[in-house]
This record gives sequence, structure tokens and C-alpha cells, in this order.
Amino acid sequence: MRTLYLTLILLLSVCLGANAQRAKSVILVYLDGGPAQTDTFDPKPQAGRNYYGSYSGVCKTNVEGIEIGEKLPLLAGMADKYSLIRTLTHGSNAHETGHYAMITGDTSGGAVVYPSFGAVISYMKRDSYKGILPSYISVTSANSRFNEGGFLGNEYKSFDTGGKPEADEYEVEGVVNKFVNREKMDKRMALLDKFENQPMDKELIDSLRGVNMEFVWGNGREVFNLANEPDSIRKRYGKSRLGQSCLVARRLVEAGVPFVNVRMTGWDTHKKHFQKMGSMLPNLDRALSALIADLDARGLLDSTIVLCGGEFGRTPRVEWEAPWNGGRAHFGKVFSYLVAGGGFHGGKVVGKSDKTGEKVAERPVSPSDLIGTVYMLMGIDPYGTLPHVSEGDLPILPSLLDEKKSYGLLYEIIDLKKPAYER
Amino acid sequence: MKKTLTFIVCLLSLVAVQATASERCRDEVFLRRAYLTITGALPWPQACEKFLDSKDPNKREALIDRLLANELGVKYTQMRWGDILRIKSEFPSNLWPNGVQAYNRWIYEQLLNNVPYDKMVRELLLSEGSNFRSPAVNFYRGFQKRSPENFYANINLLFLGNRNCTDNGYLCFSQVKFKSTKEWKEEIIYIDYHQKLPWRKIELSDGTTLTLQAESDWREAYVSWLTSRENRRFAEVMVNRMWYWVFGKGLVHEPDDWREDNKPSNPQRLNQLTDFFVESGFDMRALMKKILMSDEFNSKAAPEGFYEPQRLPAEVIVDALASATGVWSTYSSRVPEPFTFYPQQTRATHLGDATVSSSELELFGKVSRDVSLESQRNNSITSRQLLYLMNSSVLENRLRKSVIVKKAGKENPNIETLADLITLRVLSRRATPQEKQLYKEYMEQNNLPITEAAIDIMWMQMNSNEFLYNH
Repeated sequence: MRTLYLTLILLLSVCLGANAQRAKSVILVYLDGGPAQTDTFDPKPQAGRNYYGSYSGVCKTNVEGIEIGEKLPLLAGMADKYSLIRTLTHGSNAHETGHYAMITGDTSGGAVVYPSFGAVISYMKRDSYKGILPSYISVTSANSRFNEGGFLGNEYKSFDTGGKPEADEYEVEGVVNKFVNREKMDKRMALLDKFENQPMDKELIDSLRGVNMEFVWGNGREVFNLANEPDSIRKRYGKSRLGQSCLVARRLVEAGVPFVNVRMTGWDTHKKHFQKMGSMLPNLDRALSALIADLDARGLLDSTIVLCGGEFGRTPRVEWEAPWNGGRAHFGKVFSYLVAGGGFHGGKVVGKSDKTGEKVAERPVSPSDLIGTVYMLMGIDPYGTLPHVSEGDLPILPSLLDEKKSYGLLYEIIDLKKPAYER
Repeated sequence: MKKTLTFIVCLLSLVAVQATASERCRDEVFLRRAYLTITGALPWPQACEKFLDSKDPNKREALIDRLLANELGVKYTQMRWGDILRIKSEFPSNLWPNGVQAYNRWIYEQLLNNVPYDKMVRELLLSEGSNFRSPAVNFYRGFQKRSPENFYANINLLFLGNRNCTDNGYLCFSQVKFKSTKEWKEEIIYIDYHQKLPWRKIELSDGTTLTLQAESDWREAYVSWLTSRENRRFAEVMVNRMWYWVFGKGLVHEPDDWREDNKPSNPQRLNQLTDFFVESGFDMRALMKKILMSDEFNSKAAPEGFYEPQRLPAEVIVDALASATGVWSTYSSRVPEPFTFYPQQTRATHLGDATVSSSELELFGKVSRDVSLESQRNNSITSRQLLYLMNSSVLENRLRKSVIVKKAGKENPNIETLADLITLRVLSRRATPQEKQLYKEYMEQNNLPITEAAIDIMWMQMNSNEFLYNH
């Protein structure tokens, strides 16, 4: 009987895996430092100036009943393409632990350092993804505040492109080097061949160098070359670092890369918050709306998950007093994320915060609930395991197994059904 | 007859092994190997020339003595301790920068003064007081879960190479308590003497019985047993760890995985060195010297000799690229605000805090100090590392701004002189006549100015195995 039960579970999980493979890639637009949820995806105009600060209104979206911040008109025009999670919560107000929670789905305090979910996806796709480009890419760099590869190791850390996508020439670290053309490289390599006098790992190194030559001089290089895009598209994303990074992300996803991390810094606005938002929000609005629309127009949105948010939100109550003089502090109790594509429904809102946005009123969502749902859509069992060098197999998302740390995967905004074995 | 034959064959092969083991590597190989092993740094060109030209028959020993006592040597050993003690400002150790600095300073002083190993471990484990004023207490702070079980598991791992301790020794650490002060991030680690005695006698897994007294520090009973001469495993683990630090492979491997079914590859060697270590009074520097003076360390590289080449660790590669070009990276810490900027020309091996990193260090596998396992350092070569060396703008810019290119531009040396300048700086030896010929042809065939040739030759040497590996 027990065996039969286990077989059923196995069958179910196989079916789940087969059905679930809807998304092929993830783009994480990471707003590093923590964006204010009340300025973006969970506006509270009725809470008054002490909360809503310099803003007066909201943007009504093209979906009845959903409103977002007044500085995001372009995103407001396409709310049917994305859903909003308004009740993410991990309770941590420190950058490093908040970041750890949002990027691993684990809660800090355990004995093991978990890998980022980009690294996990990269690891899980190691056999199925055969592209020449790395499987986990950060445009332009990952937040290296903790070990991104976690216990999976260096191989699964992100490839940081470096460089400036918004510049005339985007110098991707290791790929585009303005001093070296193909001819020069060939000459140098020939010299190295004649010199090499040590046999260590020679076969391995030769083969890896071969792969690199293909990456640098073959298609790999062209994927990063934004001159291949019409100027109208480049302008649509905005010629900012974020805008052009989002465009690079779309090109990478088109090339099949499973995980792209676009990181925008500057959201840690303790001071001059509203002045800074005056330029940062329109920048985000343009870039993110262009990304979603462009993916949609190319038929890629169905297979690409887009996530946008930071390590936490910011205090709904404005700190008008000195030395902040109109700033917002760290806030991990309740904050928002935007999710789109790859099997996530559009036009929905998950969870509700209270009147001032300071508490979860309905349906809390933990980082592991969000990341677990992403895993499911990517065809990865959120209740599966990862190998650890000394601890054996560990649960891929330990928090999911803990009732105090998980409130349920986001079945309300995906088509996949809750598997029978899940509590 | 058959027996005699077997005996002769055995004898012959023994002689053969002896011969290969004792066939010494060339001086230039030894020089680079010793510098990289002891200090994690490349020797300066003048030091190379001086050593290579010296006729002193004891010059290898003199070099070892000098490097072991030298600031660079002490600091590199400090980095190794920092790795296994998980010294880090932020997650997961969360020692915070002040704690990190105090802790590092303490380790530095232990190593500089060559405090005996048993004494150092004793002081570390029996520490009490403020994390700023009694630096060793940071040992107890650097745990996500501050429980006696966790302290004990880590102590077993570090000092006994035991990954699975099942006995009740953790009770000896159940009095360790923490309280904060009004000072930001200060903590007092104290012993709660009022705690009720759990058991009077605790039996450890090797059969030893510890007796605990009420109203005393129970750690004392455990630590006295741990660090005693009778506890041979304590000495063995350190001997083996040091062997691992030098050769990249322990006599027992992994060095932190001692089990019944994980036997040492060469038990005699382990015994011999352990005897030496215990008799020396746990003298760590003497032990290191003993290993460095050995035939194994002085042998040719495998497959001809014993020494297995090892890819340079992340910090060492990054420092080597910096010192060879004379263009250094800058490092800063983002915790706490305001940010801390390290002085110019700080070596990556001297950062002392795993929270401080760079893209290059991450790329080459800087240890993130999440766990106390030696295997956390991964020195295998990846395609991305090679890509960085082959074609990154960061390295290219470094080459173009390098002191050698500047010198070449100013002095316009001939290619033979340039070859020596570069090779001394990058590979710590002089260029051979064949190499000089190779460079000459390369420069002429491609019609390159001397500065451009310098850049290409440096690039080539930095991409060679001779550079990437300690061999």
C-alpha cells in the first residue's frame, strides 16, 4: 500500500513536471536598495501627506479596480499583462538579510547558506540548456552581498556583464574588448601555443578556450550588440542604464538564457526620497513597460517570467524629521512585487495591505511562496532537493515546508493545480 | 627464488621512488613555489635575481626562514585561519566590521608571535568578554544558530576533523551566554555559573570521561582534554591541515573528514610529523618549516616528481595580476555606512573580511566563509576565468597602464631586455634564449612597436599555465 502511495506521488510529480514547463526564462528586474511599495504598486492616497508624501493622485490602470502609483502611467496602461503581489513579507529590515530572503527564498538564521534562485535555476537547467551564453547572467552585475552560488558552488554564480549598455559601445567583460580584434586575438593565441611549457589540465583548458573563442567571436558577442536593434526600439526602453539593460535582457532571453538579472541600484532613499523618485520612477516605468510589451509583441511573454521588486519595501510613513527631511526607511513587513508572463496571469492582485500599508490585511506571501511558484512554472519541483557537499540532499526551499514561514504558493494567479500531496 | 625476486623488485622500485622524490626542482621553481605557498605573493624582480644568483648552499632554508617570519607570510596564514573561522562582517557570520578587525588582529598576533597551537586554541575556546576587547570571543559570535550543539560541532570539525559528532560534549558549552551593551554592535560573551549541572560525568565518543564541577567553566574540562598531548588526534589534524595548505591534498583527505574508513595515504609520514609537532611543543612555524624543507616540497612537479601543481587561489591570482602590472584594485566595504575604503595597494589576501569582495575575486572563487570546510575553496579552472584572462577590458587596461609598458615606452629597450623584465615580473624567472627568440620573431613578423609587443607578451604569460598554477 505504501509503495503504491509513493508511486502515485512520483507519477503526480512527473505529471506536474511535464505540465509545469511553461516558462523557459526568468528576467528579474531587481530594484536594489528597496523601492517604496506605496509609490509604485500599492498606492495609499487616502492615508494623507504623512504617508503619501508629495504625491496627490494615482494611475488608474486598464484593469477595473487596480490602481498604481501616479508616476507609472505607462505601466498603468498594461495592467492586464501583469499581476501585483501586495503582501510580500519577510520582516527583515536589513539589506543583507532582506536581500538573502528575496534572492534565495530561505530565511536567514539557518546553518546553511542557500544559493540564489538564479543559481538554482541555472543548476537545474544544466543538462537541458546547451547555449553558448552562460545560463545565469547579471546585467551589469549581481549584488554580491553574500555568496550567490551558495552551496552549489562557483559554477552557478551569475556571469556579470559589466560595462555600460547605455554607452555607444557596450563592453561586456571578457566578450567585447575594444583593443582586441579577431586578428589580434589569433596572433596572441598562436604565441601562447608556441610558449606553453606546462602540461597541467591542458586538454581541459584547450577545450574551454575553444568554447570561449566561439562565445567571443560567434553569436555570443552579437547578442550583446545593441547596434543590432533599431533605434526606435532602443528609445522605447529609454536610453538609461536600466532601459538598455532591459533590452539586453530581452535579447538574452530570445537567445534562450534561462535566468537574467537586471539590477538597478539607487533605491535606498533615506533622504531626498521624493526628489529622487521624480526621475527614477519614470525611468522604471518606461523600461519595464517596454520590456513587457516587447516580450509580448514577440510572443515571448508566455515563456518568460518577469519579476520586479527589491529586497524589501520602504516605510509607508514618511520621515519628515531631520536628518531624513522627507525620506523613507527600510520596511520588510509588507511590500510589493510585480509578476508577469511565463504562466502568471495578468490583471490580478494578490493580497491586501491595511489602510496605511503598514500591515498585511489579507493573504501574506513569503519570498519562498513567490520563488516556489517561479520554480513550478519553470518545471522545477519546489518540494525537490539540492545536493550539499557535506549535508546530503537539502530541500530546495526549506521555508516551504514550514507553516510559519510559508502561506501557500500563488495558485490564484497560475493555471497549475495544487498537487495532491501538498499539504 | 620467487620471493627473492619480488624482494629485489620491491627494493628497486623503492630506490626509484626515493630517487624521484628527492630529485630537486630547479631554484627558480622553488623560489616561486615558496613565495606563493608561504606568502601568497609573487617575489619582486630584485628578490628573484638575488636568490637565483646567490651561491649560498643554504639559500632555500634562509628563504623559508625569512618568509615565514615576514609580514607577508604571517598575513597569508592569517587568511587561511580567517577562512576556516569564517571571519566575515555580514551574513552568515555577522561579526560586524569592528569585531572582524579585532578578531583578525588577535589571530595576526598569535601567528606573528608564533604562539603554540595548543595555547592559541585554548585561548580561543575559553574566551570571555566583549567582542571588541576580548577578540577571541568572536569565535562564539559567528554562528547563525548560537547553540551549544553548533559550537561543539564546529569545534569538532576544526580541531578534530570530525564532521559527525554524536556525543554529549556539547554540554560543556551550554553555559556560554550573550548580552548586548549600549555600545552599537558590542556584545559580552559570558559564562553562566549559576546554570545547573546537567551531568557530573560526560563520556566522549573516544571513551574519555570528563568530570564537571558546579559553578565552574565547563569548557575548561573539555578544552584541557582537547589540547592535551595525549589527544593525538588534535595534533594530527593540524599537521594534516598544514600539509593540505602546502600541497592542496591532505595525507588524510578531505582534511576535515577524519573517519575510520578514510585512512591516511601515508601513515608513516603523518606519524613522523605529528611526533615532531608534539615534541616541538606545538610550534606551528617549526612544523611549517619542516614541511617546506621536505623532499616532497623540494621535488620536481608531477608527473616527474611528488609536487602536484595547484591553480593559484583567487586572492593570489588577483594580487599577482596587480603586482605584475603595478596596477592595483581598490577595495571597499559597504557595511556599515559610511563605507570603508581600504588603503591603495591593499592585497586581496589581506582583506580579512569575506564581505569585502570584487567581481574578479568572485570569479576566481574567493572563499565566502559560509562554512568551516577547507573544500569551500574551489580552485578548479572554469571557462569564465579563462575568458577573463583572454579578453577582459579590465585586464587589457591594466596591461596597457602597466609599469612595464611605461618603462618600455620611455627607455625603448631591446626585445631581449624586455623579455627578462616581463618574465621576472610575471613568472619570477629570466627568459630563456629560445623564448627571447620567439618574442623577437613575434615582434618582427607582426611589425609591432616595443610597447605593443610588451602588452602581448605579458598577456601571453598571464594566460600560460606557468602563471596560473603553483608548480
